[in-house]
Amino acid sequence: MVAEVSDEELMGQIRNGDEEAFRILIERHQDRVYGTVARMVGGSGPEVEEIAQDVFLRVWRAAATYRAEAKFTTWLMTVVRNLVFTRTAQRARRKDIDGPDPVDEETGESVMTHTPDPAGRTPREALSFRELERAVEEACAELPENQRLVVHLRQYEGMEFEEIGKITGMSLTAVKSLMFRARETLKKKLSRYLSASN
Amino acid sequence: MEMKRSKGSEQEGLGPELEGLLAKVPPPRAPAWFAAKTLARLRKEEGVAMGKPIWLAGWRWVWAAGAAALMAGWMLWERPKTSLEISDAEVFAALDALVQQDEDNRWWAGL
Repeated sequence: MVAEVSDEELMGQIRNGDEEAFRILIERHQDRVYGTVARMVGGSGPEVEEIAQDVFLRVWRAAATYRAEAKFTTWLMTVVRNLVFTRTAQRARRKDIDGPDPVDEETGESVMTHTPDPAGRTPREALSFRELERAVEEACAELPENQRLVVHLRQYEGMEFEEIGKITGMSLTAVKSLMFRARETLKKKLSRYLSASN
Repeated sequence: MEMKRSKGSEQEGLGPELEGLLAKVPPPRAPAWFAAKTLARLRKEEGVAMGKPIWLAGWRWVWAAGAAALMAGWMLWERPKTSLEISDAEVFAALDALVQQDEDNRWWAGL
């Protein structure tokens, strides 16, 4: 019943102040939004949760003016992108004033501890998985913001380049170029794991 | 999360090797309480009544006050208009009538 209602229909109901429709929309897209914010911000926990909530609150407030001109997920990820980029710019400005953030390493640790360990892993396997997880997280975090977003949308959201272009506001060529550069960087940084997996 | 790929996109994407590696490390999922917390924050920030449209919730006091004013006006308009005041002339006329009646009663009684 719930799955039959499209995102666009839900937005129409949200426009009339329907909280139940809003709850369904959140539950449908929360992992997508939370995961993207987590990857972009480079961590998890209260900050990621707050930004992800901001995204949905913005969706609620924009429902009155929302027009289904593009796919809902494209519009949603554009909202995510705008909010994340604004937040990271604010954070960068704060760092310029305050100096390096002393809790950076701690934040990195919390990323590692947040992802649940799939059941049935031996401690040794879990340790090597955590090492790989850390390496991938760090390699992604070191990518420039736009490259990181392109990689995430392509790899984890399965989006086409055209769609990614709409979200990032870039041409198809620019998106592919970003992907190429990201691939080269990731290959270098993760070469150890790539050769190990062969 | 879905992972769709068009034909021949391998050269433009990360490549099968990197894709396989990154697929082993999916991004974190939203905590179980995420939707409930977001809705609670929405209610706190917007003051929305559950299940009520925003415009109706915001204007309900105006509607209630308008309806009460209309009801009060109608009741004032429809109240009984008969006066309870009695003039002096009416009192004296009634007393005269009583005295006259008393005299008539006495005459008939032969008093």
